[in-house]
Amino acid sequence: MHEQPDAADLLETARALLLAELLPALPASKTFAARMIANAMAIAARATANPTAWPEPPDAALIRAGVYDPGTPQHDEVAARLLAIAQMRCAISNPRALRNHDLAG
Amino acid sequence: MAENTLRIVAASLLSGGAIQQNWALEVEFQGIAQDWVLRTDNAATLAVSLPRAAEYALLKAARAAGVTVPEPLLLCEAPSVAGAPFFVMRRVAGIAAGHRVVKSDTLGGGREALAMALGRELARIHTITPPREDLHFLGAAPEDAALAFIAAQRAALDRQRQPRPALEWGLRHLERTAPSPVPPRLNHNDFRTGNIMVDEASITAVLDWEFAGWGDPAADLGWLCARCWRFGNVAQEAGGIGPRAALYAGYGEVDDARVRWWELAAHIRWAAIAIDQAERHICGVERNLELALTGHIVPELELDILHMVEARDA
Repeated sequence: MHEQPDAADLLETARALLLAELLPALPASKTFAARMIANAMAIAARATANPTAWPEPPDAALIRAGVYDPGTPQHDEVAARLLAIAQMRCAISNPRALRNHDLAG
Repeated sequence: MAENTLRIVAASLLSGGAIQQNWALEVEFQGIAQDWVLRTDNAATLAVSLPRAAEYALLKAARAAGVTVPEPLLLCEAPSVAGAPFFVMRRVAGIAAGHRVVKSDTLGGGREALAMALGRELARIHTITPPREDLHFLGAAPEDAALAFIAAQRAALDRQRQPRPALEWGLRHLERTAPSPVPPRLNHNDFRTGNIMVDEASITAVLDWEFAGWGDPAADLGWLCARCWRFGNVAQEAGGIGPRAALYAGYGEVDDARVRWWELAAHIRWAAIAIDQAERHICGVERNLELALTGHIVPELELDILHMVEARDA
């Protein structure tokens, strides 16, 4: 077993310190870099904290060949699976986008 | 001092431009102080990006067509001078940063006026038609820009390290619903918020011509209107800047259904570019945090694509 606190906790704690104490002290020309670092740490923390079981992604070649087009038996299930995977990926890469989509319906 | 002496008083690297370097130059030329921008290549150049000489020719062609672009001043293709080919254009004042432009109700004369002006600029760009000897580097126009787009994107996906079923889903929808071809026009191919410089009164420059090519003019309108290029201000459908109706009014005659098809295409194209940029970091060509984070835009684009396909199929 790794020693506690775990990777996600360390990343989150380090990120909070970066944003609270370092970012305000940086010159304007360096704030973009600091925000990128904070964003990268947030993504890494979420990825580490979410060892979720992923659905099997649909076969890209079959999608391209039209096997799952509207009107085919598997269309709805494949569409739903693609959406579920994209939502899980978004929950790690950019959860704000997920919320925006919920608001937009 | 000779009459044609040029003295560089100051040079500083401008921000922005993952692919190119832009240098702000303060010069004295023939005794007159001038502000110039020198544009040259970064270490790693995207394969789809046009060389500097081509971009220079495009600037000249656009300027002749009445498009608001920085005045092109000189081109130097000899790598011995600055290490890589470069060109110089007159520096234009204004703001381009997308997140700032979409927040302002007054820039460019206000949202309505600015959206109309964007339409007028695009219409001027689209007056340029093939064949053009000065733009020979663009190659032959595709017979069917929509099908050519789908084929090019699929070829790009086949080169990537992992399959992208959500993008395939979008491409298959595009294939099922492709519009019939129209006569080709010059497309800017990156005409979006962030590449348009504005001041309080109006557009001061249409920037970044490195992706230009012959195609369906609705592709430029779709790229500008795509939700992913509204910088969070999704209610203003013309690039987060203003109403779609104002953009269309400024442009002239618009086939809205065709634009919507290219809007979905825009999300797929941006996702493919983002994957390529992240790949430059992953494979080690250019280790860079900004490129690495660009890859994490892809899941949101997949979500956009899936929602758009669902709505369009309903």
